[in-house]
Amino acid sequence: MNGLPAAEPPASSSSPPPPAPDPFNSLPDDLRDNTFSLLSAADRSAAAAVCHSWFQADSRSRLSLTVGNCYAVDPQVAVEKFPNVRAAVVKGKPHFADFTSFLPPDWGAYALPWVEAAVHGWPHLEELSFKRMVVTDECLQMIAATFPNLKALRVNKCEGFSTTGLEAITQACRNLRELDLEESTIDNNPLSHWLTNFPESLETLNFSCLTWELNFTQLERLVSRCRNLKTLKLNNHIPLENVASLLRQAPQIVELGFGKFSDGSDPNLFANVKAAFAGCTSLTRLSGGWGNGDVPEYLPALCYLPAFSCVCEGLTSLNLCWATTQGTGLIQFIRKCKNLQRLWVNDLIGEAGLSFVASTCSKLQELRVVLASNYGYVGPAVSVKERGLVAVSAQCPRLESVLYLCRRMTNKDLITVARNCANLTCFRFGLPEPNPDYITGRPFDAGFRAIVESCKGLRRLSVAGRLTDAGFRSTGELADSIEVLSLAFTGDSDIGLNYILKGCKSLKRLQITDCPFGGRALLANAARLETLRYLCMSSCKVTMLECMLLGDTMPRLTVEVRKNAQLKSVPPNSLVRSLYVYRTLAGPRSDTPESIQIASI
Amino acid sequence: MAAEDLKKMITLKSSDGEEFKVEEAVAMELQTIRHMIEDECADNEIPLPNVNSKILSKVIEYCNKHVHAAKPVADGASALSPAEDLKNWDAEFVKVDQATLFDLSLAANYLDIKALLDLTCQTIADMIKGKTPEEIRRTFNIKNDFTAEEEDEIRRENQWAFE
Repeated sequence: MNGLPAAEPPASSSSPPPPAPDPFNSLPDDLRDNTFSLLSAADRSAAAAVCHSWFQADSRSRLSLTVGNCYAVDPQVAVEKFPNVRAAVVKGKPHFADFTSFLPPDWGAYALPWVEAAVHGWPHLEELSFKRMVVTDECLQMIAATFPNLKALRVNKCEGFSTTGLEAITQACRNLRELDLEESTIDNNPLSHWLTNFPESLETLNFSCLTWELNFTQLERLVSRCRNLKTLKLNNHIPLENVASLLRQAPQIVELGFGKFSDGSDPNLFANVKAAFAGCTSLTRLSGGWGNGDVPEYLPALCYLPAFSCVCEGLTSLNLCWATTQGTGLIQFIRKCKNLQRLWVNDLIGEAGLSFVASTCSKLQELRVVLASNYGYVGPAVSVKERGLVAVSAQCPRLESVLYLCRRMTNKDLITVARNCANLTCFRFGLPEPNPDYITGRPFDAGFRAIVESCKGLRRLSVAGRLTDAGFRSTGELADSIEVLSLAFTGDSDIGLNYILKGCKSLKRLQITDCPFGGRALLANAARLETLRYLCMSSCKVTMLECMLLGDTMPRLTVEVRKNAQLKSVPPNSLVRSLYVYRTLAGPRSDTPESIQIASI
Repeated sequence: MAAEDLKKMITLKSSDGEEFKVEEAVAMELQTIRHMIEDECADNEIPLPNVNSKILSKVIEYCNKHVHAAKPVADGASALSPAEDLKNWDAEFVKVDQATLFDLSLAANYLDIKALLDLTCQTIADMIKGKTPEEIRRTFNIKNDFTAEEEDEIRRENQWAFE
């Protein structure tokens, strides 16, 4: 402070005085912690390696922790190293497991060891999130018993628990603000009172994944008592008139999701829905399970869209992936949504629909176009093609994130998109088959090269369609900022994979399916694999022997291979169906099921 | 001008005896002083034994700017919004040598000036961002008391498990 011997610069010198020896030492702890709290996890990890006192400061002051792979570290180690954590996120299965049967159902990722460690070692815990893990009722009961002040519980894409566990949480955690069960598989215990006695502090409630009809009286009481409720995501089976009734009790709502609604008996349904939505002046995010008209018990919901249209102007986020009925109602609705920043639709929107999106949604930042067939649509194919993407890229200057599953594409159009959207951070592109440019017949080398060259901030890329080794070379050389890379049905040989592993400086996660890559590139770049969080490969040409060699050469990598549960071991010469390679500090895990083999000599 | 003369002035005295007259409104930016004024236990002269004159004059400069920036400027001379102007001013304000920066941070902490504390902490954090441990050490003249193995292990643990 005052006592620091900071030398005054000599009058003739223009350089500042040399820094005093470790000025950080003079800072009081709270000031140092304050500074550290402004650093990202990556910067903190560098800071912790500077010297002992910085190491201790980081350890003491880390309030928020994300464990990207639950098997990368022992939960006990995490808890001992960072005793003051308030918010923890633990992730299990890789993202890849979402849309393929990449991992067997009994693969693992158990939350229990983490809950046990947290319960003993994180007394200040207020927020806990699990993603793609097995969470049991026992876990939830332990959390409820130990953390009555829990503010947020997020259990996303998890399984293994029931409403018994939920009851423990809602009864004990009376200050709970957020309960988010997105896409989890949850069993119903009809005797559970989880819904009856909810804490009134609730601001976010997402139970869209529940597959049974809830007691509406209880739900209504919950909504009316939680005056701070901002986000409400309902499940299927709620009649539309009941949705309207809930909205009347919660006009302050900011985000609404509803499942497929069933036919009600209200003769004035349209007017009631319209009036209910008119009251929701704060609504900015909307997602819906708009029923498929072919399924009798679900309303052809698109005919009710006009009743919602009063909220269009205020919407910033709209998810219509589930709108699996065709009709112009959708487009009329979107044409009123001038302020959309995020739009998720399926390919039934068609090229014409996308051109309306382009001309209406000038503030669009994120566009997803998924396949209606993945959402239960069984009618004649509509699909989108290249013009839709080009139109949006040309008229939406703020576009940053694109997921586009379409029927065909050309290099020229990819190059146009690259030029129009240099700010892309995420570009996930898919074709139904490994097709080339449909006009020239050439592979997409030039198109993807343009994307990686132009979009200097690109962090996520999914490549589809034909790409040659040369195409991979430009990706490897130019895609400096890519952290997540997915390859499907593409590539010519191991050389392509070699380019990726030798380049792509920032790569953290690599997912490969149905590509002609063997293990040679993996073995040649074994050390590189330690710089990734994980590598997933499915239906490629890697042999068991190559996996064993990899596991043997790199003892800190766990190489997991899918095997037939009846076999003792995968034969060395056979091609592995799938492999999952990840770095770990904790050594090979001890809870592998029969359908997984950890490969080593 | 007469109104200015009637503005109540507070005298702040640095550790090395220098006196600074400031408007009461400016002195109130220092929360520790504010409490003293509001509790009416402040004389017109307040000693600050933990802050020297060099740092105190900079602190006062900062508070002066921020108090007066809250008032709208009638002439509209700047092409930027007042908020952007202030941001640019702040950015220039913290372009000082390291020792002064840390002293400012300590003073902001002691005098409880949240905005200045946030600004200085962010500036220090920005000096850490994107650097390797060795680069950080060089920036702040810190002695490395880890062995190479220890350093590797720490980096690995943090990167593999907690990033």
